[in-house]
Amino acid sequence: MLNELLLSFARWLDTHSWSTQIHESIYLYAWIETTHVLTLMVFLGMLCIIDLRMLGLIFPSVPASTVAQKLDRPMMIGFAVMMLTGLLLFYAIPVRSTQSIWFRIKVVLLLLAAVNAFTFRARMQASVGRWDLDLKPPKHIRYAAGASLLLWAAVVITGRTIAYDWFDCHKELPYVMYWAAGCVNEMAALDAEL
Amino acid sequence: MDFYPFFDWLDTSPLATISKAYGGVFAVVQMLHLLGMSMLGGMVILGDLRLMNILMRETPSEVIIENTQKWFGVALVMVVISGIFMSSAVSLKLYYNEMFWAKMSALAVGVLFFYFIRRPLLKFPHSQLNPWTLRTVAISSLLIWFTVAASGRWIGFS
Repeated sequence: MLNELLLSFARWLDTHSWSTQIHESIYLYAWIETTHVLTLMVFLGMLCIIDLRMLGLIFPSVPASTVAQKLDRPMMIGFAVMMLTGLLLFYAIPVRSTQSIWFRIKVVLLLLAAVNAFTFRARMQASVGRWDLDLKPPKHIRYAAGASLLLWAAVVITGRTIAYDWFDCHKELPYVMYWAAGCVNEMAALDAEL
Repeated sequence: MDFYPFFDWLDTSPLATISKAYGGVFAVVQMLHLLGMSMLGGMVILGDLRLMNILMRETPSEVIIENTQKWFGVALVMVVISGIFMSSAVSLKLYYNEMFWAKMSALAVGVLFFYFIRRPLLKFPHSQLNPWTLRTVAISSLLIWFTVAASGRWIGFS
């Protein structure tokens, strides 16, 4: 049911002329994707520095809260650009992405990363006064920072593998893969390209 | 200098055997390449924005530079090793790809700039340096590394 709804939504997006124009343009799609990937340096770069501080591996003399607060804005600017360009990339190729197992895993991982980020932030604000200047923050903070890095690494790899067609619906796959990719119409992505 | 023998060797090396046969391994290494790029870019951006007095103004720029330089080195090793692995999968194709050489040139400029200009210069107390020198170094550094990353992405489109 949900898969049918998602697919019909994707098909509706696919009827938009802008969607086709982005997809078929020579440079626009490439530049949107380049912006999406290069903004990793802003978003993930800042996140990496914050997490490394929480793991006690960088800026030992700077309070952890200072690093987190000061880098929050550039990180969120990067995140906003990535979301915007990411939505455009989805908009350009909606039907195939909707039935892509990698895209689906990526969305789940993004949600997990968001949950981790919010609980991490709440915990940090509650306790940071006690360990702000410690070289090594407490264990639960270090675990959350490690989880954040691993989750984002997984987001990156699933984002990258969307481009691979290993498990596209039109291929012969084990049933579980059809299920996980939410294949409603095996030929939908191929039809959409015609 | 002709690098052809290197690319020819790489094409049949054990690395290529793995990178050509296992798409999954290639994807994981590519993820490490992107993570290394993020880390490298993050360190460059933070350091350069601090030199331009835009980010983390309360923290002495010497502290920011010292910490980010250390991790820049780690990230550089990550991208170079993963990059060699990735190029082994298509080494002869890359040898004839202009965008690949644009990226390699930009990378060489970036590394030379970092280790022979930016780092030695920033060893002096930053307050003794002309603020415009610092700004010029920071802007050049940002532009160079943007070029490296953008031309790298463009190898895949070309």
